[in-house]
Amino acid sequence: MKNTAKSKPVSIRTLMVKIVIAWAIVAFVLFPNVSLLGSVFYKNGQFSTEVFGKVFGSARAMKSLKNSFILAFTLVVTVNVVGTLSVLLTEYWDIKGAKILRLAYMSSLIYGGVVLVSGYKYVYGANGILTKMLLKLFPAMNPGWFVGYGAVVFVMTFSCTQNHMMFLKNAIHGLDYHTIEAAKNMGASGAAIFFQVVMPVLKPTFFAITILTFLTGLGAMSAPLIVGGDNFQTINPMIITFSKSSYSREVAAFLAVLLGLATILLLAVFSRIEKGGNYISVSKTKAKLKKQKIDNPVFNILAHIIAYFMFAIYVIPIILVVLYSFCDSLSIKTGEITLGSFTLANYRKLFTSIDAVKPYLVSIVYSLAAAVLAVTAAVICARFVKAAKHKFDIFFEWGMLIPWLLPSTLIALGLMTTYGERHAIIFNYVMVGTVVLMLVGYTVVKLPFSYRMVKAALFSLDSDLEEAAKCMGAGTLYTMIKVIIPVIFPAIMSVIILNFNGMLSDYDLSVFLYHPLFQPLGIVIKAASDESAAIDAKAMSFVYTVVLMVLSSIALYFGQGSGMARIRQWKQRRLEKRIAGN
Amino acid sequence: MIEFKNLEIKYGNFTAIRDLNLTINDGEFFTFLGPSGCGKTTTLRALVGFIEPSGGQIVVDGKDVTNTPVEKRNIGMVFQSYALFPTMTVYENLAFGLKVKKMSPAEIDKKVKDVAKVIEIKDEQLSRNVSELSGGQQQRVALARAIVLEPHILCLDEPLSNLDAKLRVGLRSELKNLQKNLGITTLYVTHDQEEALTLSDRIAVFNNGFVEQVDKPYNIYNHSKSEFVCDFIGEINRLSPALAGEIARQVPGILAADKRCYIRLERISLKPREKTAKIQGIIRDFDYNGVMTKYRVDTPDCQIRVIHVNDGTPFMEAGQSLTMYLDPKDIMQF
Repeated sequence: MKNTAKSKPVSIRTLMVKIVIAWAIVAFVLFPNVSLLGSVFYKNGQFSTEVFGKVFGSARAMKSLKNSFILAFTLVVTVNVVGTLSVLLTEYWDIKGAKILRLAYMSSLIYGGVVLVSGYKYVYGANGILTKMLLKLFPAMNPGWFVGYGAVVFVMTFSCTQNHMMFLKNAIHGLDYHTIEAAKNMGASGAAIFFQVVMPVLKPTFFAITILTFLTGLGAMSAPLIVGGDNFQTINPMIITFSKSSYSREVAAFLAVLLGLATILLLAVFSRIEKGGNYISVSKTKAKLKKQKIDNPVFNILAHIIAYFMFAIYVIPIILVVLYSFCDSLSIKTGEITLGSFTLANYRKLFTSIDAVKPYLVSIVYSLAAAVLAVTAAVICARFVKAAKHKFDIFFEWGMLIPWLLPSTLIALGLMTTYGERHAIIFNYVMVGTVVLMLVGYTVVKLPFSYRMVKAALFSLDSDLEEAAKCMGAGTLYTMIKVIIPVIFPAIMSVIILNFNGMLSDYDLSVFLYHPLFQPLGIVIKAASDESAAIDAKAMSFVYTVVLMVLSSIALYFGQGSGMARIRQWKQRRLEKRIAGN
Repeated sequence: MIEFKNLEIKYGNFTAIRDLNLTINDGEFFTFLGPSGCGKTTTLRALVGFIEPSGGQIVVDGKDVTNTPVEKRNIGMVFQSYALFPTMTVYENLAFGLKVKKMSPAEIDKKVKDVAKVIEIKDEQLSRNVSELSGGQQQRVALARAIVLEPHILCLDEPLSNLDAKLRVGLRSELKNLQKNLGITTLYVTHDQEEALTLSDRIAVFNNGFVEQVDKPYNIYNHSKSEFVCDFIGEINRLSPALAGEIARQVPGILAADKRCYIRLERISLKPREKTAKIQGIIRDFDYNGVMTKYRVDTPDCQIRVIHVNDGTPFMEAGQSLTMYLDPKDIMQF
């Protein structure tokens, strides 16, 4: 039975917080995007369709649109094939060395975006180590072979499998092994079990991942920018190009709006699928999945070959980046590594030169600040929604979720075009050109994820806990700080860490919003991947990448792995000592 | 003393409690008993302050507390889920309310250790996280946490329902002893009739938002005031009009002709007694649990269940004929 909470008048303190949060949502989430739409379709005081002519008249814009959709559709196939294989080879079939394979396949969790594309370029690009090896074998081949549609698809296929490694892997582990045993008991073959018992259970997860992959393809930025070449540019890199000139800025804005509309449409489909529900095991005593042996020896060998071929694709760029990070400039330039090439000079420079370490500090400070801000806002809003006393409180949920519907390019462009001028809503403060702009952008894009995760944690909390605290005389704020927050703290920490990790090497937002004196890592690494970049800059980008991977791994260890459990154990021991001492 | 005066609680258009009038005396162990959704927990939560009544008054010791905030009522509560704070140790859970009251660390330490002694929580358990405790231990902590604040009233919302049967029986008697020793007015919510009958000084039987009967356990069981109460509390046989007529024919002047008749299983005797009606039947089947056997017996008019306590007499099989003796004075009529 639903209990009616005792309604009390809203306190002044709560009202003040609500006003501040509502203002922030309007000023940083709603207003910039509405203003951007206005700048596209509303000119000289009236509705204008001039932008349609500009976009449809621009061959580059139209081609980028077409390329984006081609890329999105291609990735749906390739990412699903590679991602599903990655999960099945490590989690479902019994493949020798699955643990090491899993580590390699999961590298996309710590190594993605602009960093990964740059890494692939160092292997397959014109000066890449593989290209140089191939040139020795086939001198007539084109050194710039790894450019265009194929290169973008290849890079993105192997960088976008993280959804499979997280969600599909969990779905496979959620399988009730008794259902597989039941099918075996009824005489089903391995293939029949896989296609008729296992795959139907995974279907909802597949749909969700497919939509996410499609959206990733549509909003691709780093891969087309770095290995797309002149002939394969997609919407997002075009938006950057168009946004540089004031004449074509409205084309950039319109393309961003189109991207936003496509995102909204696809997320609506996603939402329907999500509501359609997942298959929930009806088993009372669920059995843990046991790996399946591939009985057919030919298929077994084939599966092992595919598994280790994929392993090589995943790890070679990482190994090379690590190796290069310890190499001198000459070896990096020539691509020839000897024993004498190795040096610690690059790392020494990182830890001794303030200029070298600056991109790190910038990225760490921005990512951490944005991660904490987004989660703080999410906790407050989720609390308002949970204890909703008024219909208006649902506004906080919408406010938190709206950025989910908008591609980060649109958010960035909205902030950039709107707050380059004075607006009363932020007290006539011109934000463009300040260090605040990127922090706002980083925070806004992390709101929906933070809110969804925090809300899930908060709503799954037993409401008796709060009531018990109140029974013992605790006020709302005291209960929140002493009871609620500690219980959901592991979830809060996970979200902060995932947010932090996600923004650490960001390029897509940063390219629009960064302060020229405070360049974040993504910008520096992207610049180093250009052919024209200085060798020293390339060397430092390898170091940046390695340290970044280490940082991301540590963050994931604490956020998702056993790190948090170890902290809890330590805290428990500390408490036990304290009580024993009393 | 707790008084519910014309209490009404609504959820939208649904009325959960209608016109409840009830008085609970100081030091009493009072139980709200009824099936799920009957309004017993709703009433308890209204008393604690989690639910705002849509009408009526709640008066505690002569003071109207209907609109007093939860944290100001000084009512201890033990939740069905225990609601122990999972991030805290047993000690910290017990100390929580004392810290809210801004007591000194020395006072807190003394009170926590005193209550732990009373509730039989061992010293080494105080430093353990509540998630490491068994269900029974968690239940003790929840109880200790509720009484450490020395509340005027203690409310328990199905506190034993998550425990296994043996532990439940053990804790039941401990709870009763504790309540008597502390002398605290206790309100207990349960749907378990046996628990209610064992623990309570008085019971209020709820049905569909109404209180059907408020009385001592003996009267609730043996002199039920309504068909619902007699049917809900324990097992009962509903006699067909023809069988009731046969009993009235054999022992005239006791049963009213136009009323429905009910009799408890254990009130039917298998040995001849004076001024009883003799009814013949055939055993259809039975449940045997060692202490007693429950027979389902087909009579010409209806099926009757009867209990035979294991007294060493030979066991009877299905299909065997059985003679039963019913005293009309044991029959409840509505």
